[in-house]
Amino acid sequence: MPPRRRGHRGWRLAGGYLLTLAVLVHLNFLLPRLMPGDPVDALLDAQSPSYVQDGAARAELERYYGLDEPLTTQYGRYLAGLARGDLGSSIRYGRPVADLVAERLPWTVLLLGSSMLLAAAVGLALGVHSAWRRGSAADRGLLTLFLTVHNLPVFFVGALAVLVFSVELGWTPLGGTRTPFDDPANLLAAAADVGAHLALPAAVLASGLAASYYLTMRATMVGELGADYLVLGRAKGLSERRLKYRYAGRNSLLVVVTWSALRLEGLVTASVLVEVVFAYQGLGGLIFDAVSFRDYPVMQACFLVLTVLVLTANLLADLACGRLDPRTRA
Amino acid sequence: MRVRADPVVVAGAVLTLALVATAALAPAIAPYDPRALGPPLAPPSGAHLLGTNDIGQDIASQVVWGARSAVTVSLGAALVAVVLGVAVGLGSALVGGAADTVAMRVLDVFLAVPQLPLLVLVAALAGPRQANLVVVIGLLRWPDIARQVRSQARSLRQRGWVSAARGFGGGLGHVARHHLLPALGPVVVTLAVTTVAQTLLVEAGLAFLGLADPTAVSWGLMVNRALRFPGIFFIDAWRWWLLPPGLAISLGVLGFMLLGVGLEPYANPRWRRRSP
Repeated sequence: MPPRRRGHRGWRLAGGYLLTLAVLVHLNFLLPRLMPGDPVDALLDAQSPSYVQDGAARAELERYYGLDEPLTTQYGRYLAGLARGDLGSSIRYGRPVADLVAERLPWTVLLLGSSMLLAAAVGLALGVHSAWRRGSAADRGLLTLFLTVHNLPVFFVGALAVLVFSVELGWTPLGGTRTPFDDPANLLAAAADVGAHLALPAAVLASGLAASYYLTMRATMVGELGADYLVLGRAKGLSERRLKYRYAGRNSLLVVVTWSALRLEGLVTASVLVEVVFAYQGLGGLIFDAVSFRDYPVMQACFLVLTVLVLTANLLADLACGRLDPRTRA
Repeated sequence: MRVRADPVVVAGAVLTLALVATAALAPAIAPYDPRALGPPLAPPSGAHLLGTNDIGQDIASQVVWGARSAVTVSLGAALVAVVLGVAVGLGSALVGGAADTVAMRVLDVFLAVPQLPLLVLVAALAGPRQANLVVVIGLLRWPDIARQVRSQARSLRQRGWVSAARGFGGGLGHVARHHLLPALGPVVVTLAVTTVAQTLLVEAGLAFLGLADPTAVSWGLMVNRALRFPGIFFIDAWRWWLLPPGLAISLGVLGFMLLGVGLEPYANPRWRRRSP
């Protein structure tokens, strides 16, 4: 096979990305229509707060949401709406879903971003340390700790964190994204307020991810320890520090970067639960509201937006991996 | 057998058995009907071992009955995931070619989707009945299993005895049943056990969001109800209302996780040599 140029890998990745995206956009359209029961059924469900048991009301609702039209017409309208950024209208708030999402998305991105940075810093550093001194008391302690944290239900951890840090110690606010009805004097005060509200949910969200980073880093690095280049480095008299971070650490990092893109899906899932515990006004909180009020357009929009977010991040991580690892450029 | 000597496996097995036994014997163990009303927010006492919630339901009985929905949904979903995952993984590895490529593309799509938002959508549309939850959670959990089974099966296919069986005229189905499945057994068992740990967490998470079978008692729903009680953290009730269901979920997941970690060396003989 002739050697391919670098650009091709990027195009191939982008092609796969678009294909996956297309499948999911269609899934988002078909799912509510293929499932037994439909949004109107659910709206008319006895458990729904908007319960109405009336044939005429049902027909009216179906006409209102355009569900009485042929599937092809609905499909065309869905795609046209999507192209204009129209995600429908919220049943609960009576506002365009796109506006709701636009208000909430920055907060979720802030939460996801800050907890990823925190988790990577803590998890990777401790993972390298643990692997380098594997078998030591510190390694065993960290391994047990992170294996446990890795499998705790994140909403329970969040509740305990509120109890300890907000109620008992009073270090952080009980929840929310910023202090309500507060008009901060300047930008700095506003940022401090946002930071104080962000700290605890981000830390809780990061704990589970840090455990994943730690476990992967440790496992990969333990595998690297016997490698020839380390033996040679040691024979050359390189410092332990250099061998640990620049040699074994850097080589293990490649595996971790590829893998961490796959973990983003799990992080989004955890963030929904964390946002609910902390009453954080991001997309997760919106999903929770949508579940309580059977607000289907909002649920669908959140699914679509979060999917696009995850897919885009995956694509970026794949492309970044190409930059980090010269071998995949070929 | 050496499996029994491993403390990790023992701890995992004890926790797992305790959970399954509680689920099976729930009507016999639970002191009260988990829905019966009594004195609200009663602290733990002889009458109510773990106290009661805001409408006076006995927490201990709810925790016991919660084990039943946790076990039903998580084992059921894991079964769906394992059957599908093994079928797709094995089939994909054996048939190869275009079918393999298509299966792998489908896997990629599944692995990239944020699962909770999708689960929420599907569970809310279909109605959160236990049977629906089992199918929905199972359908989202098979891709991991399929991928691992496929890679194992592909390496097994190259072995002499598989080629020999093919050479003697064994069909794909015969090879899969009599040669690959037995060899894959330990891998599949380990994958199944870790999958239960995951489905248990997913079930609890969905219930926490309010998507649990309204006719069953669920730990996630208990935590949800406790947290929605205004000022729960400022009264003592969190000790007996919030902690028991949260700890029950944690211990259940931990049990299956430890069992999975402990069985790993037996599924993957390469590890056995390395462990001390």
